[in-house]
Amino acid sequence: MDMNEIKEIFFQECEEQLAELESGLLRLNDGDRDPETVNAVFRAVHSIKGGAGAFGLDDLVSFAHVFETTLDCVRSNKLEPTQDVLKVMLKSADVLADLTNCARDGGSVDEARSKQLIRELEALAHGTPLPGAAEAPVAKAAAKPAAAKSAPAATAPAPASPAPNDQGFVPVAFSFDDFGDEAAVDPVAMSTFEISFKPNADLYRKGNEATLLLRDLSRLGEMSIHCDMDSLPSLDGLNPEDAYFSWKISLRTDKGEDAIRGVFEFAEWDCELEVAERAEGEQPDAIEGEAPMQAVPFDLSILDEEPEHPLGVVEEEEQIAAGEREATVTALETASNVLNLASAAAKAADAKQAPANAASAQQAAAAGQTIRVDLDRVDRLINLVGELVINQAMLSQSVIENDTNGTSSINMGLEELQQLTREIQDSVMAIRAQPVKPVFQRMARTVREIADITGKSVRLITEGENTEVDKTVIDKLAEPLTHMIRNAVDHGLEMPEKRVALGKNPEGTVRLTAKHRSGRIIIELADDGAGINRERVRQKAIDNDLIAADANLSDEEIDNLIFHAGFSTAEKVSDLSGRGVGMDVVKRSIQALGGRINISSKPGQGSVFTMSLPLTLAVLDGMVVTVASQTLVVPLTAIVETLQPDAASIHSFGATQRLISIRNSFCPLVDVGRILNFRATQANPVEGVALLVESEGGGQRALMVDAIQGQRQVVIKSLEANYTHVPGIAAATILGDGRVALILDVDAVVAASRGQPLRLESALAAVG
Amino acid sequence: MAPKKAASKTLNLAPVLDLNEASALHRKLTEMRGSNIVIDASAVERVGALCVQVLMAGAKSWEEDKHAFTLSKVSDAFTKTTQLIGVNVDHLMAKEI
Repeated sequence: MDMNEIKEIFFQECEEQLAELESGLLRLNDGDRDPETVNAVFRAVHSIKGGAGAFGLDDLVSFAHVFETTLDCVRSNKLEPTQDVLKVMLKSADVLADLTNCARDGGSVDEARSKQLIRELEALAHGTPLPGAAEAPVAKAAAKPAAAKSAPAATAPAPASPAPNDQGFVPVAFSFDDFGDEAAVDPVAMSTFEISFKPNADLYRKGNEATLLLRDLSRLGEMSIHCDMDSLPSLDGLNPEDAYFSWKISLRTDKGEDAIRGVFEFAEWDCELEVAERAEGEQPDAIEGEAPMQAVPFDLSILDEEPEHPLGVVEEEEQIAAGEREATVTALETASNVLNLASAAAKAADAKQAPANAASAQQAAAAGQTIRVDLDRVDRLINLVGELVINQAMLSQSVIENDTNGTSSINMGLEELQQLTREIQDSVMAIRAQPVKPVFQRMARTVREIADITGKSVRLITEGENTEVDKTVIDKLAEPLTHMIRNAVDHGLEMPEKRVALGKNPEGTVRLTAKHRSGRIIIELADDGAGINRERVRQKAIDNDLIAADANLSDEEIDNLIFHAGFSTAEKVSDLSGRGVGMDVVKRSIQALGGRINISSKPGQGSVFTMSLPLTLAVLDGMVVTVASQTLVVPLTAIVETLQPDAASIHSFGATQRLISIRNSFCPLVDVGRILNFRATQANPVEGVALLVESEGGGQRALMVDAIQGQRQVVIKSLEANYTHVPGIAAATILGDGRVALILDVDAVVAASRGQPLRLESALAAVG
Repeated sequence: MAPKKAASKTLNLAPVLDLNEASALHRKLTEMRGSNIVIDASAVERVGALCVQVLMAGAKSWEEDKHAFTLSKVSDAFTKTTQLIGVNVDHLMAKEI
């Protein structure tokens, strides 16, 4: 494992930590005051800082440090996490995410924004009013650190908040080895601290090591130490895993008490720690009968060979071997252990998370074991399984052709093979299935930013974040969802004053829900805003020649006009939305995913956008049918029932339309062969089969096909990727006999049956 | 108190003396009680506080048993770590003759 791989893993973990950070902050925002939530938030920032430090990502470290300092104030109950405080923190989480992305992908961040946030975070930590944007950062003088044991971060001594450099970033001192200790700190007054450190057995049990803590401590300055061995029994009475040593340390340093406590940060629950500054001129307490303090050798570089500290690994060739040895071991464990390679701090964070009981820790590790796999590998597997499915279908077909009675053992074996293939396919698909949570969390940020810009007060409620869907779908979901959320906040929700005047809560609500329904994922975006102004939409559509002035449209049809290309009712074009490119793009993106989008709106009460998406883009359960001697696949999810029409149930309607009577209701009959131009005239319905399908608008249509061949799972092959988009056709697949069959786009066909021609830009046409 | 003339047993310490090794080291030392012991710490690359505790408890027990407990060779990492944590092992070091 080389450094780049470790770095890549660091960034992956950053994403997780950022998600954790954001969800924690949101929980706090919702009034959660569980100390564990605050701790989780703190840990997330601390881990990012630790890893970033190990990789020398200075901007990230600087920002994370300031953020962490403020979070520490919250953690130690010195700062109440009010809405205002959390607003700054949520913005800081966004900037932290930007900085992380920037460190990974290059590019730049909004420096003014991060500087401003650093000032705001510092102001919070110091209990001063939030600074205005133009205010210069306040350079903290080298204040005398308080001698109190618990020097509050709010009155942090100089090292915690040294003068910002010209970029506005505050240089920071770190206790991590390999991360320029002395480089970043302005020289300030030296002080001597008396430290008493008595570890408990838990400290060792959780993977912390007193020697490493003492080593880190020694790097803060000149240290002398006395080890108290009085409680050490002889071998007989010794529990080798218990803690008997305790230490008295005298440390002369310019780094301040916070830096000292920082060394013990993740061990503080498992030791007795006292830190006191010795007044100038005061002599250390003479300890009666104890050995004098022993000076600690300054050069401890040899102790850096511990494989847990990979930067040492990078520096010296012989250490690489040690690093790799450790990497091999930890890679077998959880992924977060790998980051431990990169940072002692991250290791400490993990140790802190570890349950006190070693046995339960092991259990937890076993329960949550995961591996990271390159997506390409999974995709290759999925492709191969797809080929396997096709191959198996081909094999079945040729066996059936050569074995007319269908009872041979080969045939039975094939059926088992088919079942197994299906199971393999499902399992492989499950690997790709991911919860929609990350996308939903990104939306939280979008809402915040738009709320800020528009001056509206918005609350985002998400439900069903753990609903799983194929990763491809998730990746492609973010963009349309962002568009829709922008629209919902910008156009949907009213300004707070207006809401109050209407008797609504001044804070608007946007609700994002995900759920599974009949083999698809349904994502709903609901706002409690003004709803669609149908009069205006209609007028706009008339003005833009989209509809005739006297067109008789249902409410639903008017609502769906907003999905038409170039349609925007915004009175003024804002930065956010209103350029008229929003909703048609959304509709197209959703359709490209094999999904449908629908809208329902109630004036004064808000709008609900409902998206229905396939769980996977790789396979589909379909009904294989024959139309005009062509083989087509109709997605099974669209089919309500199949029936054999008799002549009595067919009724003509107008010149070309025909209806079929099903259980005393009439349903338009659509000849698929005619719609797709497979044949010039309509086929006789009595000779074919009707597939009753439900279109997204809720209306039913009976699709006429010549015959049903069977039902099977097919592997979707994109037409767009391999050929070009074909109107009325969603994709293609390869059948058992090796021939290509087209997969019908049911909604497009239904829309076409309403007189809307099948064309590429059928955004409006496809509306139910 | 001069140790009795007796055959010395030698214990070679493992390169990594961490939490896991502490119990093993404790067991090995306990089994070797009753005669002089020479500890070879020349291969030690990393030593944690727990193993230093075991070694110092060993030295204490050997002293009680009136047997010699000697560190023959020590690695730099071993020396630096004991200095770092303020444990003086000079009195256990084998004296040059």
